[in-house]
Amino acid sequence: MFAFAARRLMISIPVLLVASFMVFVMITTSGDPLQALRVTNPPTPPETIALEAHRLHLDMPWYERYFNWFGGLLRGDLGPSVNVRENINEEVWSRFFVTLRLVLLAMVLALIMAIVSGVVSAVRQYSKVDYSMTFLGFLFLAMPSFWLAILLKEAGIFLNQVDGDSDSRIFFTYGDRSAFLEDPTAWNRFTDVAGHMILPTLALALITFASWSRFQRSSMLEVLGSDYIRLARAKGLRWRKVLTKHALRTALIPLTTVSALDFAGILGGAVITETIFGWHGMGQYLTDSINTRDAYALMAWLLLAGSIVVIVNLIADLLYGVLDPRIRHD
Amino acid sequence: MHMNRPSRGLIGLVAVAAMVLSASACAGGGKEDKGPDSSIGFAECVQKPNTCNTGKTKAGGTIVYGLGKDIKAWNTLSSAGNTLEYSYALFGVLPRVHLFYPDLSVQVNKDLMDSVEITSKSPMTVVYKIKKEAVWNNGDPVSADDFIYTWKVQNAKDCPLCKPATTAGFSSVDTLTGSDGGKTVTMVFKDPYPDWQGLFVPLYPGKFAATKGDLATSFTWLEQNVPTYSAGPYKIDKYESNFALTLVPNDKWWGAKPPLDKVIFRIITKDSELIPAMRNREINVMAPIPTADLVAQAKELSDSHWYLGKNLSWEHIDLNLKNPVLADKALRQAIFTAIDRQAIIDKTVGQYAPGTKPIGSHNFVPGMTAYKDLVESTGQGKGNIEGAKKILTDAGYKIEGGKLLTKAGTAVPTLRMRHTTGNQLRKDTCELVAESLKKLGIDVKVEQTDDLGGTLTKGDFDIMIFAWVLSPLRIGGAKQLWHSTSASNYGKWVNPESDKLLEEAAKTVGDDPKAHELINQADALMSADAYVLPLFQREVFISVNKQYTNLRPNPTNHGSVYNIGTWGLLDQAQ
Repeated sequence: MFAFAARRLMISIPVLLVASFMVFVMITTSGDPLQALRVTNPPTPPETIALEAHRLHLDMPWYERYFNWFGGLLRGDLGPSVNVRENINEEVWSRFFVTLRLVLLAMVLALIMAIVSGVVSAVRQYSKVDYSMTFLGFLFLAMPSFWLAILLKEAGIFLNQVDGDSDSRIFFTYGDRSAFLEDPTAWNRFTDVAGHMILPTLALALITFASWSRFQRSSMLEVLGSDYIRLARAKGLRWRKVLTKHALRTALIPLTTVSALDFAGILGGAVITETIFGWHGMGQYLTDSINTRDAYALMAWLLLAGSIVVIVNLIADLLYGVLDPRIRHD
Repeated sequence: MHMNRPSRGLIGLVAVAAMVLSASACAGGGKEDKGPDSSIGFAECVQKPNTCNTGKTKAGGTIVYGLGKDIKAWNTLSSAGNTLEYSYALFGVLPRVHLFYPDLSVQVNKDLMDSVEITSKSPMTVVYKIKKEAVWNNGDPVSADDFIYTWKVQNAKDCPLCKPATTAGFSSVDTLTGSDGGKTVTMVFKDPYPDWQGLFVPLYPGKFAATKGDLATSFTWLEQNVPTYSAGPYKIDKYESNFALTLVPNDKWWGAKPPLDKVIFRIITKDSELIPAMRNREINVMAPIPTADLVAQAKELSDSHWYLGKNLSWEHIDLNLKNPVLADKALRQAIFTAIDRQAIIDKTVGQYAPGTKPIGSHNFVPGMTAYKDLVESTGQGKGNIEGAKKILTDAGYKIEGGKLLTKAGTAVPTLRMRHTTGNQLRKDTCELVAESLKKLGIDVKVEQTDDLGGTLTKGDFDIMIFAWVLSPLRIGGAKQLWHSTSASNYGKWVNPESDKLLEEAAKTVGDDPKAHELINQADALMSADAYVLPLFQREVFISVNKQYTNLRPNPTNHGSVYNIGTWGLLDQAQ
């Protein structure tokens, strides 16, 4: 297994390098990061533009810039950002952890909801509960994530105002915490952060839960109809024990692998969610870097996001082997 | 700003499942459009721009202002820091010699200066007298050191490695000397600079900067470090990247104590998120670039005042005279005559800013004393297709088979009209222009550009739509935009007579009416030559929660923060 993992990682390095080269060529040929300086009124002195161009290596040919960046990367230097104060290395990691917090919480919530609804739907197949769960699953599956996020924001604002006291709030629509608290006790800080997390987490979790609940339902149905479950029942085991100890455990295998494989997709969904809720995560960093033609910032984003996708896909591959003994990675 | 109530936190967690869909249809709509409040709101701002929404404040409170950009550089003199939003965020911190008021007047900052006077016209000499009690919060007096530092980093001579946003004015200064213990500053120009009141807005702390290294080193240091210094009513308490900047009163401030305990600039980079944040009282003030949707939603905010007026930015259509076809004056006149400016307004900006009219000057906007409509009399911009055809046929052009043929009998080639990517208003304008010119037999291909600066400087357009932002100081600026040698004259219009008038105006100090007249004469020449067609002024928009007072719209680039030290919670008991 170790050899397999090492081989997969080695293969991914040239993939990432080719991707970085292509993205670099695209971003450097798509426009001028100093364009804003060229249309100011009064005009920016040409000397200022030349100094700024030198700082950003724009006075070099693009291929030289790429190799210069690559050399810097090996030394741990990700290059200068268009934003003079920004250290790309620090910024990209800080953004990553903001996004990771959202994604992990949403995944946990989505997993809990998917398992509960999938199991209940399977156990009570064709009942009202099953139809209701199926309806909700398809509803959220059909909803664009940005629309659901906007609906949740509206609902949050409405509920905040429903008691007629417009000064109080439970749900927050922007950012991951308040800019200030009049009484910043530990409990108030906790509820403030929780209030900011509810809506974006829910938006991301509901979209994710929708497809996972369908997986879990069909997987559970398949297991419940299998011979070994019938045998367990025939031997007189209690239904609850059969369900939890035998059926559910087996039925979780597909969802485990699917959720690992979906990680990259959820990261993509988080880009939209965090944009709508004003979380300064990887999504915003990507769009800002593109808008400002911040080539080195974009390269850092690409490397980090690409590496995460490679690693998570590798974990998913390895999980197959762990959960299903018939699969071996040689 | 009001905090959340923690006791309700758990209830909220339980309530989530029930609220998802039921509430969505209920929120937002249904309230009557009340417009500006006539008692304490913005209704008076047209008649009394400098005093509207004035009220008695009570001590304490916090205000949260939705700021459209994160602050990427703290030195607003530098090219990286020359952004309106950064300047707003630091307005309460950095001292300014002059302030630009909502009525477009430029006034001496009486908190900082005892007097500012032109003492000689030749050589042009300005004497600044700083208030004795004016100090930075580290105890250093506000002095000639600050003026000299601010000059040297921007004069293109003393600091070649500094990266100032502009050297305009500062490069014309010959000497700057302090006297009277540094509280008097004498500035002598080598060339007259009529827009001198735009200098030293703001000042940076010279003595403090010197502790950070030489001019270039300190200039960069000021760019990269959050200011601990202040000579304004507020100082910076805390900055969290991509999140918020918090100001608290500066205890060394010598002027009237600011009423608020805190001013928070909450960074909200997407304008579409401002309205929900206002409704949820996560912010109390917003001043975004207005759009039809945003204005409509802002009018629904029952607990806020709103104001939609005109700012100093104006949209215009430029022709590239380097294109041999457009070098012909008759064709240019016909193009501008065929364009219907009012129709463009009605179908674009007029949708949410009714009453918008075409403007008739390339240098001034209505409300400025120097404004004169110099386009109306040329007949341009009226959508007069028959008049345009007559201009063309008189000049020897022919329209055959729906195609315009030149005097030589060749078809006028398709013209490329360009606009910035994602700007729907400009895109719609281009489509309307194309429709009008089609009637003259001219095909227009609408193209977008995501590199406005590059497109303009390379002259990679036939027709271009973009905007200039004016300052209330407009004498030197006219030469900078329209002189034949100016880098900003992107379409390369050359007129020696106009050049002469603009040069003369740029040398006129202390006689604004004369300077304005010279500029208007040059403007009339340009209007007659059909080089740039002014369209309309853009809008200024502000929405403020009714709990706050002394905030008002300011169309200049000093914005609503120009009086940040007076903002406060309205004392309802007044």
